[in-house]
Amino acid sequence: MNAGAKRVLLTGNHAVAWGARLSRPKVIPVYPITPQTPVLELLTEFHAAGELDAEMLTPESEHSVMAACIPASLTGVRVFTATASQGLMLMHELLHYASGARAPIVMANVNRTIASPWAFWPDQTDSLAQRDTGWIQLYVESAQEALDSVIQAFRIAERVFLPVMINLDAFYVSHALEPVELPAQALIDAYLPPYAPQHFIDPERGESWGNVVSQDLYCRHRQDIGAAMDRVPAIAAQADQEWQRATGRGWGVIERYRCEDAELVIASLGSMCGTAREAVDALRADGHAAGLVKVRLFRPLPLAALRTALGGVRDVLVLDRNFSPGAGGVLHQELRAALYGMPSPPRVHGLLAGVGGVNVPPQKIVDLALAARNREPAAEPVWAN
Amino acid sequence: MGKLMRLEKLDLPEEPVLCSGHAACPGCIDALSARHVLSALGPDAVAVIPPSCMAIIAGAQPMSALRIPVYQPSLESSAAAASGLRRALDARGKQETHVVVLAGDGGTYDIGLQCLSSAAERNENILYVCFDNEGYMNTGAQKSSSTPHFARTGSTPAGKSSRKKNLIEIMAAHEIPYAATATAGFLPDLARKVEKAKALRGMRLLVLLVPCLDGWGVPEDQGIKVARLAVESGVFPLYEVEDGYRYTLNTAQKTRPVRDYLLAQRRYRNLEEHEIEALQREVDIGWARLQHRTQAELKTID
Amino acid sequence: MNSITLTPPIWTTGTTESLKTGTWRAALPVYQEPPSPCHLACPVEGRIAQWMQQALARDWHGAWLTLTDNNPFPAIVGRVCHHPCESACNRGAYDAPLAICALERYVGDRALAQGWHHEPAPVARKARIAIVGGGPSGLSAAYQLRRRGYAVTIFEAQPKLGGLLRDGIPPYRLPREVLDGEIARLLDLGIEVRTGVALETAAEFERLRAGFDALYLAMGARRQKRLAQLDYAAPWVMDSAAYLAQANAGAPPALGARLAVIGGGSAAIDVARSARRAGCEVSLLALEREAQMPAQREEVVQAKEEGVALLDGALLRTAVRTAGGVALECVRVIFEPGPLQGEFRVTPIAGSEFTLAADAVVPAIGQDPDLAAVQSLARAAGALLWTDASGATGSDGVFAGGDVASTARFVTHAIGMGRRAALAIDRRLQARSAASEDARQALPPAAIHASLDSINTYYYPHAARTERAHLEPAERLRGHAEVQLGLEMEPALAEAARCFSCGRCISCDNCYYYCPDMAIRRVAGGYAVAGDYCKGCGLCVQECPTGSIAMREERK
Repeated sequence: MNAGAKRVLLTGNHAVAWGARLSRPKVIPVYPITPQTPVLELLTEFHAAGELDAEMLTPESEHSVMAACIPASLTGVRVFTATASQGLMLMHELLHYASGARAPIVMANVNRTIASPWAFWPDQTDSLAQRDTGWIQLYVESAQEALDSVIQAFRIAERVFLPVMINLDAFYVSHALEPVELPAQALIDAYLPPYAPQHFIDPERGESWGNVVSQDLYCRHRQDIGAAMDRVPAIAAQADQEWQRATGRGWGVIERYRCEDAELVIASLGSMCGTAREAVDALRADGHAAGLVKVRLFRPLPLAALRTALGGVRDVLVLDRNFSPGAGGVLHQELRAALYGMPSPPRVHGLLAGVGGVNVPPQKIVDLALAARNREPAAEPVWAN
Repeated sequence: MGKLMRLEKLDLPEEPVLCSGHAACPGCIDALSARHVLSALGPDAVAVIPPSCMAIIAGAQPMSALRIPVYQPSLESSAAAASGLRRALDARGKQETHVVVLAGDGGTYDIGLQCLSSAAERNENILYVCFDNEGYMNTGAQKSSSTPHFARTGSTPAGKSSRKKNLIEIMAAHEIPYAATATAGFLPDLARKVEKAKALRGMRLLVLLVPCLDGWGVPEDQGIKVARLAVESGVFPLYEVEDGYRYTLNTAQKTRPVRDYLLAQRRYRNLEEHEIEALQREVDIGWARLQHRTQAELKTID
Repeated sequence: MNSITLTPPIWTTGTTESLKTGTWRAALPVYQEPPSPCHLACPVEGRIAQWMQQALARDWHGAWLTLTDNNPFPAIVGRVCHHPCESACNRGAYDAPLAICALERYVGDRALAQGWHHEPAPVARKARIAIVGGGPSGLSAAYQLRRRGYAVTIFEAQPKLGGLLRDGIPPYRLPREVLDGEIARLLDLGIEVRTGVALETAAEFERLRAGFDALYLAMGARRQKRLAQLDYAAPWVMDSAAYLAQANAGAPPALGARLAVIGGGSAAIDVARSARRAGCEVSLLALEREAQMPAQREEVVQAKEEGVALLDGALLRTAVRTAGGVALECVRVIFEPGPLQGEFRVTPIAGSEFTLAADAVVPAIGQDPDLAAVQSLARAAGALLWTDASGATGSDGVFAGGDVASTARFVTHAIGMGRRAALAIDRRLQARSAASEDARQALPPAAIHASLDSINTYYYPHAARTERAHLEPAERLRGHAEVQLGLEMEPALAEAARCFSCGRCISCDNCYYYCPDMAIRRVAGGYAVAGDYCKGCGLCVQECPTGSIAMREERK
C-alpha cells in the first residue's frame, strides 16, 4: 500500500464519490436517481462536512445538471457529476453539447435498464446508446476500479478536452461492498494538477463560446473532435501506466486475462467480466485454452489493442448486457467491425447475456463458450437466456 | 408619467459592451434593448444566450458582438447553464462578476421554464433577462406561450385563441428578490431596473417587451413607438415585484385605449370589434389586479 | 507525456466591428436644421428656438445675446409685439402655442434689471450713415450698423427718441423706464443723436444725402388720415396722435367728461384706454365688428374690461355741436373687408340709426407718411416710399423702412425692416452681394421648415400654456401702472420647456441612445452618423424630438 493510503470497505457508488472528492472538482451539479443516489448523498455529506470544496447544485433534472456542467467546465474549473439510466437518457441532447463544447466533464453513470417498462436492473443499453455523443466511455468492474477510473478520467479528459463517462453496473458494482484502497490526497494532487485550460470564460479574456459557425468551421470542429478521440487510447494508456507507477494498480485500456495461447476469448464490459473471469478459470482448469478481454475503454474503441489481443484467436465470444433492437449486442457489433479485414480474423460470436439484469452465472458462460467452439457465428442476435 | 417624464436629456450608462456590426435587422429593438442592458450591467459580466434572435445578434464565429464572454446553451437550458456558470465563477472567487441570461420568450416562457423555475427556487445569483417579442420570431414568427390573445403568427393564422402567460406572476410566486417589466421605449426606467437588479443578489428577472418589426408587422422606425403604446395602453404595464409581494406600478395610470396599440401592428390586422373589446377588458382587469396588489402591499406595510 | 493542448476552433477571436453592416442600408440619416415656423414668421428672424433653449438652461444672458442679435429691444417687443411667431408655432396645432412673447419680455426685463450691456463696437469703418427718424425702425438700423463698425447719426424731429414707441404707445402698455432703458443701452454703443431736428425740405434731405455715405429714411407715418364727416378745426375734435402724445407725456388733454373715439385699431384703443385713465366716459366707435377689429384681441378685451363702451359695426355720419356737447349721428353697418389690406365695404343697416352724445371726438383712423420732402431722393408707391425687400429705394445709398415704406404698422415689422436695411447698407458699402451673406442670415425658402410632423410629440406631454397675468381693471384705472404683468422665473422655465425646438437640435442624445447599431457618434458640436454601421432604420429620425434629422436615400 502507498504511503498515506487507507483501506476501507466501500460500495462502488461510494468509491465513485471518493474518487470525485480526491479529484477536487469545483462544481458538482447532480440529480438523484436509483441506483446512483448514494453517490450524490456521499458527495453532499462531504460537502456539508466541509471536506469537499466545491459548488454543489441540485437542479430539477439531469438535463439541467448537464446544462450546468458544460459552462461551468468552460469557465475553467473541474466539473463532476453522476447519473443513471433515464437520467442519462434525459441528458442525451446535452451529451453532444458537452463534447462539442470540448468540456472535460467527468460523469459516473450507473448502468441501469431504461424504461419502459419501468425496471431497476443492471443493463448497459443506457450508456451504449450514447456511444455517438462524443464522450469517452470507460466501463469498470469493481469499486476500486471505479475510484481509480474517476481520477484517471479527469487526467484523460483535460488532456484532450473531451468529457468522460465512467460506467458501473447497477448493484453488482454500485452497491456491492468491497475493500478499497483510498490513495492519499497528496498522491492525487501530484497525479492530477489543477485544471488550467488555455481558453475559458472570463470577463478579462472576453472570449465567447458557441457562436454560430459556417459549414466549414463545423466540419473542422468535428474533425478536431475526431483527432482528439484518436489520441485517447494512447493518452488513457499512459494515464493508467502513471497511475500504476503511483499506486501499484493499473487497469489497461483493455485487460487481457489468461489470454496467452487462447483459442477462445470472452469479451465483455463491466461487471460481466468478473463472472467471465471465473468461467475462464473453470475452462482453463478443464484444459481449454480460454481467456478474457475486458474492454475498459469502449469509446474510443482501442482498435490496435483489440486487434493485437484478438488476432490469431479462433473464437471470440462477446457477452452483451445490452440490446440494440434490430442489431443485437452493441459490443458485438463494435468488435466485429473492429476486427473486420484482419488476416484470418477470429469467429465473433455475439450473445445477449444478462439483458435486463438477468443473472448469468459462471457455469452458464462456460456452457456458452463450449457451445460456441463448435458453431459458426450467427448473423442475427442470439439470446443466451 | 411621474418618473417616466419625457424630454430630459438622457443620461444612461455608456459602457460599450454591444458592438456595431451585429446582424440584427435594421431598427431591431432586441439589439437596442441588449445594448442598454449590457451597458448598465458593465464589463464585469458574462452572458448566457440561448438560441434566439439574440444568439444571431451575438455574432457568427469567430466574431462576437459582445465584449463580454458569451456562452450559448441549448434553447431549454439557459437558467441551468447560467447556474453552472455562476457556480464556476464563484468557485474561482469571482463572486462579483455578473451572470446575465439574454433569452427570448420561447426559451423562457416555454421550453426553458422548468429550469428557470428551478434556478429561481434555488435563488441562484443570476440576472435573467427575457427579451419578450411574444413569439418564435427567429424561426419566422410562430406562437409561443407569450404570444398574446388574438395575435396572428405563423402557427396561429386565425389569431391565438388563448392568452399570454404571465411570467412575472409565476416568478413572483417563487418569491425571488426582484422581478420587473421594462422596455426600451422607456430607457431610463430600463436602465434603472438593470442597475437595481445589479445591486441585488440572487435570482432577478427582467421581462423586456421587444416589439419585433417583422413578426409584429411594424415599420422599421416604429419599434420604440409601439413599445410605448404597449405601456401607455396598459397592455404591458411597467412594474416591479420585490420578494414576491412588494408590488410597484411605475406608471400611475393607463393613458390610451388598447385600440391605439393594436392598430399600430399588422399581427392584429382584421381584428373584430368584439375582439378589441375583449382585449380591452383583459387589460382593464389585469390593470385593476395590479393596482390591487400594489395597494394590498401598502396596507401590509401600514 | 508531453501535454499537448488542442486549441478548439470555437472560441471567438474578435468583435463584429469588422463587419460593415452599413452596406445594408438604402437611406442614411442626415442632420439638418430646418427653420422653425416661428422663426420664419418672426419679422426680425428671431432664432426663437435657440434662445428658448438657452432660457430653458437658465442661460439668461445667452438667451438675451441671441435675442439682441436681431432686435435690440426684447423688453419692448416682449410687451407690444403682435407675435406672429405664436400664430405659426407648431405647438398651436398640438395644444396651445408657446408664449414666446411673454418669454421674450422675461428675458428683456431680466437684462434691464441686471444692467446687461451690448458688446462695445469700435468705429472701424470710414463710412458714415444718417438715419432719419428715431423710432423703432431707425433705432434698429442704427443698432445693426453701429455693431458693424459704422458711425451712425440719428436725426429725430421730436425732443426724445422712440417715435411711435414713445408718442403712440401709452405707458400702461410700455412703461417709460423700459423704453428709456433699452434706448439708453443702445445709445451706449456710441451713436450720435440729433433730436429736435426736423428735416422738412427737399434741400435739407439732399444735403444730408451728400454728407453721408448712406441714408436710412424711417420717419414713420405722422400725417393723420381724416374723416370727411368731421370738422377738424372744431375745438371738440382732436386727432389721436396729438391726444396720445399729450396723454403719454402725462398731460391728457381736457376735452370734457364724455369722449367718443373713432377707429378699430391699436391707436383708437390706446386713446380710449388713456381717456379712461383720465377719468373720461369713453365710447369707441368702430366700423368693424368686434372680431374684425385690427387692434390686437387682447387690447379690445382689456379696453372693455376698463369700461370702454364699444360700439362696433358703427359708422359716424355727422357730428353736430349741441347745447350739451356733441351729437354723433351714427348708423350700424355691415363691414366686409376687401381683398387688399385697408380695403373694405360697409353697408348701413336700415333703421339702425342712433345718436351718441359726447363732449369731444378723437378720430383714430390711421396715418400716412409725409413724403413731400423726400420725393427727390426716393420714389413713392401710393402713399408709401417704394423699396425692395432689403429696403433699397432704388436711389444709390438711400434706404427706407418702417411706416414710411410699409402699411404693416407693427413695431416688430419696423424693427425687422431696420435690421434688413442695415444689412443691405453694409453689403452695399462693402460691395458685397446678397448671395455672399452669412448662411445664417439667408432665409431658406419658406416651404422648407420644421413641420409638426417632424416633431416627436411623445416627448412633449400636453401642457397648458402659461398665460400672462394682468392688473385688475379697477387697479388699472387708478393710474398708469403696467397692465400686463411679467412672468416669474419658474413659470417662465415651465413655458420654455414647452418649446418643441422645431428643427433645432437640443443635444438630447436620443439619436445616440436609440440607435440599435451604435452608429451615432458624439462629435464636437453635435453628432455624426457612422456610415460603416448605420443600417438606415430611421429610429434616430423617429426619436428625434425636434425634427433635426431626416433620412436621405442613397443610390449605390
